[in-house]
Amino acid sequence: MGTLTAAVMVMAGIGLALGVVIGFFAKLFQVKSDARVELVTELLPGANCGGCGKAGCSDFAKSVVSGENPPSKCPVSSKEQVTAIALALGIDAGESFAKKAVVCCGGDREQTLRLANYNGVLDCVSASLVAGGPKGCAYGCLGMGTCARKCPFGAIEIINGLAVIHKELCVGCGTCVAVCPRNVIKLVPAEAEVHVYCNSPAKGPAKKQVCRVPCLGCRKCVRAAEGKFTVNGFRAEVNYQAPELPTAEDVQKIGCPTGCLLTAEEHLRIEMNEPEWSAGKDE
Amino acid sequence: MNKNVKTFHGGIHPACDGKSLSNGVSVQRAPLLDKYRVVISENVGKPPKPVVEAGACVKKYQLIAAADGFVSANLHAPTSGRVTGIVEVPGAMGVPVQAIEIEADGADEAGELLPALDWRNCDVALLRKRVEEAGLVGMGGAAFPTHVKLSPPPEKKVDVLVLNGAECEPYLTADHRLMVEQPEAVLEGAAISARILGVTKIYIGVEINKADAIDALNAHAAEFGIEVVPLKVQYPQGSEKQLIFAITGRKVPAGGLPMDAGCVVQNVGTAAALADAVIRGIPLVERIVTVTGEVVAHPGNWLLKIGTPVIRVVEWAGGVTEEPGKLILGGPMMGFAQKSFDVTVTKNTSGILLLPRTVAVTYGSSPCIRCGRCVAGCPMNLVPCALGNAVEAERFDLAAQNHVMDCLECGSCAYVCPAHRPLVQHMRRAKAEIRKRKK
Amino acid sequence: MKYLELTVGAVLVYNFVLSRFLGICPFLGVSKRLGTAMGMSGAVIFVMTLASFITSLLYRHVLRFEYDGRTVDIGFLQVLLFILVIAGLVQLIEIMLQKLSPMLYQALGIYLPLITTNCAVLGAATINANNNYTVLEATVFGFFSGVGFALALLLFASLRERLDLAAVPAPFKGTAIALITAGILAMAFVGFSGLC
Repeated sequence: MGTLTAAVMVMAGIGLALGVVIGFFAKLFQVKSDARVELVTELLPGANCGGCGKAGCSDFAKSVVSGENPPSKCPVSSKEQVTAIALALGIDAGESFAKKAVVCCGGDREQTLRLANYNGVLDCVSASLVAGGPKGCAYGCLGMGTCARKCPFGAIEIINGLAVIHKELCVGCGTCVAVCPRNVIKLVPAEAEVHVYCNSPAKGPAKKQVCRVPCLGCRKCVRAAEGKFTVNGFRAEVNYQAPELPTAEDVQKIGCPTGCLLTAEEHLRIEMNEPEWSAGKDE
Repeated sequence: MNKNVKTFHGGIHPACDGKSLSNGVSVQRAPLLDKYRVVISENVGKPPKPVVEAGACVKKYQLIAAADGFVSANLHAPTSGRVTGIVEVPGAMGVPVQAIEIEADGADEAGELLPALDWRNCDVALLRKRVEEAGLVGMGGAAFPTHVKLSPPPEKKVDVLVLNGAECEPYLTADHRLMVEQPEAVLEGAAISARILGVTKIYIGVEINKADAIDALNAHAAEFGIEVVPLKVQYPQGSEKQLIFAITGRKVPAGGLPMDAGCVVQNVGTAAALADAVIRGIPLVERIVTVTGEVVAHPGNWLLKIGTPVIRVVEWAGGVTEEPGKLILGGPMMGFAQKSFDVTVTKNTSGILLLPRTVAVTYGSSPCIRCGRCVAGCPMNLVPCALGNAVEAERFDLAAQNHVMDCLECGSCAYVCPAHRPLVQHMRRAKAEIRKRKK
Repeated sequence: MKYLELTVGAVLVYNFVLSRFLGICPFLGVSKRLGTAMGMSGAVIFVMTLASFITSLLYRHVLRFEYDGRTVDIGFLQVLLFILVIAGLVQLIEIMLQKLSPMLYQALGIYLPLITTNCAVLGAATINANNNYTVLEATVFGFFSGVGFALALLLFASLRERLDLAAVPAPFKGTAIALITAGILAMAFVGFSGLC
């Protein structure tokens, strides 16, 4: 027998033997898996952010295949991605609203009074457990960055003790909404440009004592732009359900007396351009 | 020190306990104010529902908010006058709370009292109902409705009533003065509670630094069949689980309640209020509060109506001698630092403490050096340093595994930590996060 | 005595990860949690033992044999054949694990098929061949090499769990501090050198 023949025979023989054994075991330990789940998982963003309320993308994929959730429940996927999933499964995409988070507070260190000297852990949840946090306003952003540390997309920046969301990075997964102890972050339609940067339901005078940029509930915006705003207690809110959302021109026209009604860009610009807060100015 | 006095494992003894500032001064009666703001959600559990409307005239002791459900407590008017409405006041926990505002008419005229009961002979159910009607809550700090505590489920066999007169918190002397001045009320209240619970063994634990209180109690204790147990001066001797262990040697299982060890623990203040409610038919509308601190001109104890603003109390105590650095409701270890002097006295306010700026220093914390002092100091036998590290890494699962939920938040670990680590705050955060996740 | 030497050598002195620096990929990859590290250790011990046994059988009886009075030597097929066998074994493990422990299967993820290309397994087979171990010696060596790998992996995983809680300076966070730790661990294992 030549070396060549031997080599070919040995390799072929062993390969065949292994193939048979593996084939046998594959049959024995067969796992029935739904190919559709893998397909949907592939089509999902794979960030495992949990914004849909499921444990991760593959868990969500399972729920989509089983019909528990429509594909549009994934807050991160774009409309195209959702349609692709729906097409692949031959189901209805469900109504899709791309969302973005917005921190409804404009009270940074300069704007809002701080009533106490806080000397504890720099974390919003920890701080809110100590006398409700040092901030004068019991509803505003504490600015210690719990949301920024948790954001899987790095979309939140703390500027002058205020969390600010960079809209272009935000995918609307809602992680920040869940961790914020003050519930100051809200998910709003992605196309909304204008927001009321105040979260306090307190009365106007009480708010004014602690903050320079509160919503006083003056209803100027409600009167000027019919249907685009609602007043909830002593605070105006953008009516995100309205067919027409307020625009930058509306903000110009209304001219909010305290300046808490702003476009997202304007808000970001103001915060970014404020002079750096320095220690010693406090109290 | 007497080696035979009972105690528990762990804990600390703050070198300067500040008790001498106020423990020699008799309880003083507060003058009548023109306005009281009674916080509605005083108790643990569901807040009661207001039953008076703005503009209504109320008499002293009249019901102004009725318990909403079983774990809830009635609220009564501290004085006679007119209800102006429901207002928002700063709460002791730092978040604004709702309060019923009463404009006093100056007469302080008492309304109809509940009928006095002969507690030795009357029906137990009647006694229990009275406790509920009088709006009694735990006055040691927890504000847990007393009638709930006195109604243990039948499957838990309770055979011991422990009265908590340890008052281990530094600075506070309210319970001390109460025991010295009204020992009979305390003992009688204890005896009534025991009758409601159907237990015969009653202990009252008092730290041995309150010798006059122990003497005063001992003078009458035999009449009621109560044993006064002197305890070592050690913080947190007055914590339920530690007190039960020190006195009876029983251990409350992790995550359990005192009744799981066959005990019910009651604060001496609650017992005295209970005696008042049963014997004289007076609901809980005032309590003894320690007003103290190095910066208070005349520290002492005051009998205050609930709803009294703290700022007025400080004025009565002669004001401050220098600008205070910190206002705390409760004791320095477990009390709550306040942002505003507008907070009001509630049923569970045991002290108003004003610390000077030099004491209320701010520390920077540094990494754990693994010295183990917190481990030695923890009265619950936890490992606070490891828990703190787990929380800093946001590993709440690990913290839960290591029994962070058993933490009392007594602050012994943070007190002894040479690195000034904010351990209590870490524990609190872990507990909050774990509770949130369970929901 | 020979087996004792083989054992101590495989586990401690010539530890596959920390002395021979083979199999670093799963060592760094699946050492984040002790639980998955245990699963991986089990899988590697299993594959290594079986692979050593089968490859030494092949090496001694298939790669060189007498036929018709002549010696046929196909030793040049050694690496090819070994890889084929190891790949087959890993495939088996994967199929079984997916059925028996889906959680572990998910946790191991890509590192499971990567055992195929794990140089530690091929290394064990090659060392067996080079030292001309008997089938029994080779199997023992393979098993204890696996144990050595498991020891290193479990030690390292425990260390990394502790590292998770430590305040690591930002530039060293993650893989950087893990590599430093691995280096120190390897240095500690140098202490065993000369034992056999």
